Amino acid sequence: MVTFAFGRAARALSAAVLAAGLAGCAQIDAPATVDDTATPVHGGHLTWGVTTEPTCFDPRRTTQTNGYMLERNYIDSLVSKEPDGGFGPWLAKSWTVSADGTVYTFRLRDDVAFTDGTKFDAAAVKANLDDVVAPKNAENSATYLQSYAGASVVSPDTVRVRLKHPDSSFLESLSSVQLGMLSPKSLKLGDALCGGGKSLSGTGPFEFGSYQRGQSVTLVRNPDYDWAPTWAQHQGPAYLDSVTIRFLPEDVVRSGALSSGQVDVIEGVQSTDVSAFKGQPGFQFLDGPSSNTAFTLNLNYTRGVLKDIRVRRAIRDGFDLDTAVKSLYLGHYDRAWSNIGPDDAESDKELVGAWGDDVAKANAELDAAGWTGRDSDGYRTKDGKRLRVEVGYPEDYVRDHRDVLIQGIQAELKKNVGIDLDLKIITIGEFTSQETNGTWSIYPNTMNPGDTALMETQLIGPTGFLYQAIKKGNDQTLYSWMARSLQTKDRAERERLVDQIQQRAVDRAYIVPLYAPTSQLAATTLVHGLGFDPNLDTPASAYDFWKERS
Amino acid sequence: MTIAAIQQHGPLLRRLATRVVAGIAVLWAAATAAFLALHAMPGNVADILAGDNTYPGLRESLERQWGLDKPILVQYAEFLGRLAHGDLGTSYTMRQPVTSVIGPQVMPTVELAVAAGVLAVVASVLAAVLTAGRPRLRAFSSTVELVGSSVPVFWVGIVLLMIFSFKLKLFPVAGAGSVAALVLPAITLALPTAGVLSQVLRDAMERTLDQPFVTTVRARGVSEATMRVRHALKHALLPVLSLAGWLVGSLLGGAVITESVFSRPGLGSVTLNAVTTKDMPVVLAVVLIAAFVYVVVSTLVDVLHLSIDPRLRTA
Repeated sequence: MVTFAFGRAARALSAAVLAAGLAGCAQIDAPATVDDTATPVHGGHLTWGVTTEPTCFDPRRTTQTNGYMLERNYIDSLVSKEPDGGFGPWLAKSWTVSADGTVYTFRLRDDVAFTDGTKFDAAAVKANLDDVVAPKNAENSATYLQSYAGASVVSPDTVRVRLKHPDSSFLESLSSVQLGMLSPKSLKLGDALCGGGKSLSGTGPFEFGSYQRGQSVTLVRNPDYDWAPTWAQHQGPAYLDSVTIRFLPEDVVRSGALSSGQVDVIEGVQSTDVSAFKGQPGFQFLDGPSSNTAFTLNLNYTRGVLKDIRVRRAIRDGFDLDTAVKSLYLGHYDRAWSNIGPDDAESDKELVGAWGDDVAKANAELDAAGWTGRDSDGYRTKDGKRLRVEVGYPEDYVRDHRDVLIQGIQAELKKNVGIDLDLKIITIGEFTSQETNGTWSIYPNTMNPGDTALMETQLIGPTGFLYQAIKKGNDQTLYSWMARSLQTKDRAERERLVDQIQQRAVDRAYIVPLYAPTSQLAATTLVHGLGFDPNLDTPASAYDFWKERS
Repeated sequence: MTIAAIQQHGPLLRRLATRVVAGIAVLWAAATAAFLALHAMPGNVADILAGDNTYPGLRESLERQWGLDKPILVQYAEFLGRLAHGDLGTSYTMRQPVTSVIGPQVMPTVELAVAAGVLAVVASVLAAVLTAGRPRLRAFSSTVELVGSSVPVFWVGIVLLMIFSFKLKLFPVAGAGSVAALVLPAITLALPTAGVLSQVLRDAMERTLDQPFVTTVRARGVSEATMRVRHALKHALLPVLSLAGWLVGSLLGGAVITESVFSRPGLGSVTLNAVTTKDMPVVLAVVLIAAFVYVVVSTLVDVLHLSIDPRLRTA
């Protein structure tokens, strides 16, 4: 663990050194400027440097969000999520929903085949959904199919899905790569699918080529692909013959690999490296949307000093979040107002400007709550006890200098209001034991992408990982709104409920949203077709990518 | 085999048999210690595997799948039983047999560690032979060694990458499979080890050069080079040899960081992930591999001691 802590310090240091070095490189490499309306080039090979190597290449058996843009290359879904928040056809041409909202009938495309040659049909859909919920498979994706009662094959191109109860998140879940369609032959392999390889067969624009653990995955074009979703920039097979995805977890190394021309595209550009690519000749920089959950402090309102709403509000308002985020991320990220990202259609707009940075009020709240003493370190006390709250942040989830952001808040809260916000970097194991016992105090996190109502429930709702073990002191009003938001078929009512949930969570300071993370891409100007998936905030896949011949 | 031959080889065979038994005992102890340590770590494995996307029943399914619902003694007995059959189990997070996860990772790490080890030994021998007892050279070399052994491996790796890969483009940024890709990581890993080794080696050489027999050898008219390489170096090797265990440890430990900086495949990244996610079978396999390497190395060192130091042969 010692090496990690030191590693981060070294990273910060070397990043500064690198910035100087990179600027020089960019000048040398500058090719002629490129016309963006150029005709796409078919063929060629592209190397894409990414941050995360999936521990498992079957998205059903992992919760690693950063792996989805890799997995999307070989897996398609039944329906697609449109940029406007609606749902469009993909492997299903159309669908109907019964009046009570519990029966979905999908008409499937009849011209789709898996890359192993198996035809995609109603039986394949049923096999996929049944595979996800089978208890023996212990698949993480089953969390999205908790309302699933069963499927029946009506005809080769018609499948009927029955739900236990109406589920407003069902289509969103089906559109995610975690419930994507795999060949029934692949499904038989079970856990072996985690290892990738040709036998991990979907209907995607690429086929899984080869995998060298710790280094790279190579994807090969699926020449028969002709069923892209409507949000894609083109139809037909992918442009590139093959794509190599290189795992480069170190920020500095990723940036250096791109600036020296060893990779064509990188995903994840740390703030200090942005200037090496943004506006530099020969390079392009793209900043993605932020529609998933914001980086948020979750305050356990059922326990200890955080039971007192005044203490929670003092934490929420006792510091200047705008400045903290701006100075740390150099303006590349925006501060958050809700725990739902600003680019999500269901993010509550009324929260914008409605809270935070009110030191006087925070101090008044703490005075009223009886935290009037001061100890020798300047922290508030009550009955001789210091006002201390622990933030347990699992080591493995620390990225993007988020620990530094919390340290900044820690310093401000000490200075402004005398709260001891104690940041502890812990192991995942330590956190899960706090989670199982319900003894965590403040947990900073972002959430996997998904349906908004479902995300709120999984974050601060009764079935979520944070509160599932806590049975006393929970906010039943909030819980009842969540249940209704998940079941209602009325889209307007759902939106109203999701807004109310966000407002209540912020108003009662169950959450303190900090900033809206975005995914960034940097690439040489020879690469075209870069974009972001409305579902993931990251690129969807390499399907639309193409590369000029240099 | 004649009686005379058995009498002659008897002690050696007995010694070997003792070694093998002791080696197995070390492996068992290492595996047991790692097993207990991992169980003592906070956090339930099933909870970790379930992650943020949990649902009622997932935890129970995971526990059944991996036999985590059984008492710890039963888990331990099953683990030893599998081990006796050469089965290292299945990774919890990668959901694949440990042998197929780790197998392909062994060679890249061995390549890196061996290349760095050879580099470190060659560099330290050269440094010691050339600078022992020569004040000016010694001061220079000693400074370089001090810097080399105290700067973090991580930082060295990044600096080498920035100069030779990003700027001069002489070597690829990452990966394995080519000799070119091995150069920078090997240098990075060798540097701290070489720094310590050459300091120890030079100290030992200087002590040797002060010995009376050196004067005798010199009096025979032996050249300085022969003197240093054939006589002083040989004497100085003994204390260095005793550092072999430390050398293997620092190379294996350093490999974890080096592999992550250079995005090289290898045991390093697999181990890091496995420890943080309590992926018991993978961690145990890595511990066993490391213990095995230690046992082999310490046996080899004993044998080498015998061949270098004649005094030990009669003892």
